[in-house]
Amino acid sequence: MANSLEFNDVGKMFPGVRALSGVSFKAESGKVLALLGENGAGKSTLLKVLSGDIKPDEGEILIDDVQQSFSSPLESIKAGISVIYQERQLIPGLSVAENIFAGDLPGSSGIVNYKELRDAASEIIQKFGLSIDPDQPVGRLSVAYQQMVEIMKAYRRNSSIIAFDEPTASLAEAEISILFRLINELKAEGKVIIYISHRLGEIFELADNIVVLKDGQLVKTFVCSETTEDDLIHAMVGRDIGDTYANLSRNSVYGDTILEVSGLETEDIHDISFSLKKGEVLGFAGLVGAGRTEVMRAIFGADKILAGTVTFEGKEVHFKSPKNAIDAGIALCPEDRKEQGLVLFRSIRDNITMPVLAKLRKFLFLNKKDEAVLADAAIEKYSIRTPTADKIVFELSGGNQQKVILGRWTSDLFPAKLLILDEPTKGIDVGTKAEVYQMVCDYAKAGMAVIFVSSELTEVINVADRIIVMKDGRITGEVLRAEATEEAVLAMAMAGE
Amino acid sequence: MTAQKTSKFFRSKSFALIAIIIVMIIAFTLGNKNYISAGNISGFMTNISTAGLLAVGMVCLLISGNVDLAAGTEACMAGIFVATILGSGMPWPVALIITILFGAAMGLFNAFLVNVLGFMGFIATIGMSSVYKGLALVVSNGINVSISNQGFYPLGAYSIQMGKFALPLPFIYTVVLFVIYGLILKYTKFGRSIYLIGGNRNAARLAGVSIKKVSTILYINCGAIAAFCGAVSTAKMNSAGPQAISGTEMDSIAGAVLGGVSFMGGSGGLGGAFIGLFLISAFKNGLTAISLPTYWQTVAQGGILLIALVVDYFGERSRVSALKAEAAQAA
Repeated sequence: MANSLEFNDVGKMFPGVRALSGVSFKAESGKVLALLGENGAGKSTLLKVLSGDIKPDEGEILIDDVQQSFSSPLESIKAGISVIYQERQLIPGLSVAENIFAGDLPGSSGIVNYKELRDAASEIIQKFGLSIDPDQPVGRLSVAYQQMVEIMKAYRRNSSIIAFDEPTASLAEAEISILFRLINELKAEGKVIIYISHRLGEIFELADNIVVLKDGQLVKTFVCSETTEDDLIHAMVGRDIGDTYANLSRNSVYGDTILEVSGLETEDIHDISFSLKKGEVLGFAGLVGAGRTEVMRAIFGADKILAGTVTFEGKEVHFKSPKNAIDAGIALCPEDRKEQGLVLFRSIRDNITMPVLAKLRKFLFLNKKDEAVLADAAIEKYSIRTPTADKIVFELSGGNQQKVILGRWTSDLFPAKLLILDEPTKGIDVGTKAEVYQMVCDYAKAGMAVIFVSSELTEVINVADRIIVMKDGRITGEVLRAEATEEAVLAMAMAGE
Repeated sequence: MTAQKTSKFFRSKSFALIAIIIVMIIAFTLGNKNYISAGNISGFMTNISTAGLLAVGMVCLLISGNVDLAAGTEACMAGIFVATILGSGMPWPVALIITILFGAAMGLFNAFLVNVLGFMGFIATIGMSSVYKGLALVVSNGINVSISNQGFYPLGAYSIQMGKFALPLPFIYTVVLFVIYGLILKYTKFGRSIYLIGGNRNAARLAGVSIKKVSTILYINCGAIAAFCGAVSTAKMNSAGPQAISGTEMDSIAGAVLGGVSFMGGSGGLGGAFIGLFLISAFKNGLTAISLPTYWQTVAQGGILLIALVVDYFGERSRVSALKAEAAQAA
């Protein structure tokens, strides 16, 4: 069992960027070391170096003071390292047990002993106090439970170093507490734990030491008990952002009702009714899987509506596809940026101009000049960090990717009337989050109606003017910002449990 | 062209393929000097036209993340169709137009299978390919349908004489279609939509691109071009064979993928596809020129594909390392 993991002067170059330079720190067994930094600070690159996914150009990794050199992820795993990424590395069609034992199924002469497999898996599941059926296909589990399968997989491999890349990004509060319990158990067993998160609250709850990265360099190492949130934010962004929420410049004037939803039903949601005015920011809170995304998809014409009506700008509408909704002036920034939002291997420009190609047409052809102007305007407006609009979106950080989507829906050619933001701050850093909150308020000031869906309670009750709470596909409550408390909203989100 | 652009071209995929082609041409010419004779080149141009025409519709489908594995048999069916209706005494321009519509209908049926019934294009079109292969034999009774219409023959068989060299009409059709569709892909809204759908259909749909509409048009387009290809080939032979062209779509796909069109969709273009197809065809032609036994030709054809992929692989690697060096210099 390894007792320590050390990064010594690690550096990595990517085309056009220095992703890491001279990073040195040491993580010890039985402690949680948190890696903190804005988007593009180098946290993910560091993890990839650890997992053997990429090779550092300079420096070395030491386990128990012995230099390691991983030329593949397999070698890193063999050295006792497990990295649990945001995008889970599970095989959805295989069972929980098969996933936990992937690569090392029990049995002899090539034939799997399923009984032994099931028993061994059950043992691990019980050890962590979870109630998961080992025979269930992983694809049917919720995101949170899939993550727990990943943790059990790391545990099964007997990894002594376990790294988490933003594990709570798509979990709801109740699930997070189970996750933390698991991490604390691993910690008690003497594992070296590396934990990446954007959520400062979590880090104080979980971490022993904190390493802050910025622009690929190590800013400072903190001992958790001797530091404050302000110190960390200061180190991360290089400035104080003060009380983000109090400093928001909000809209106070509402216009006419723009959206009225009444008795909406789809396969996943039931009896959804609410209304929204121009200039209003309406929050949707709830646990993951409460049906908020499905409400948005139904309004946007992406899912089939079984009953109920949607009235937009005073007219009852029946959108058959997202295209109809877009033509009416509705925009949706989907929850899953990479799967639903972006065409990752196309340029920033192509991703920004997607919905307005018809308006960029001159005779038969696309007017590339106008297209470039439009893309450059969005890059400037949202200060997207890129040398040119031709850069592939895949190469941008999460925050910048989100800005590309926002840019798509707020260009001069597509001024959205209703903007639906589904988890817009998921996986982006504190500094950019504050920017996004202000953008939301600015949209409202410009007369846009905004729906703001978020699983982060603090965020949704502080940014939105009014908050609708959902559970199991139904609305369980509604509250104004002035009256909203985290406890009250959480109680509605978990009503009946 | 600026110096930077020039150096980029030398590191590009197309450059690696062109280099292979040049070496190959030299080698075959050394083996048989007739390889670069006017006669052989014009024969080569005629031959490449069949896979070339099919490739135009196919590449658009591939970029959108779809595929039509029945394209060759659709062309074959269209050949028999055009020969049959010409036999009824129909004027050839009318017959040609009806044949292209017939091809469009076959494409529409593929689109129906994929977009309405929700089958995977790969499986659905393999199925259709088998159906058409059988139907072609049933309808023709297994024998060639010959053509008596004298006006139709030149459509596929004429060449423009330029001194000693004859430029075959089918090759001109191919080049014209490559240019037109190349422009569509690069410069139109529809072309952009094809790339967006192939890159990420979910995101494209949520951004207002009608994915079903685009893929339906592409299937119809592929069927129509396949029918045109079938008609041209039938004109050239002055008869329609029940097994003509079937399987040629594999050359189109191999050439396209070799030239940088991703089988997963979202990337590549017709320029690269043409170079890839050129390589494959010129190699086949060369094997005949040096009189390699037919069985060995098949083996060698597989071999060149692998060699090209290997060269491409190393080209890609050196390109990446060059980019890295460039970045290191910039930083």
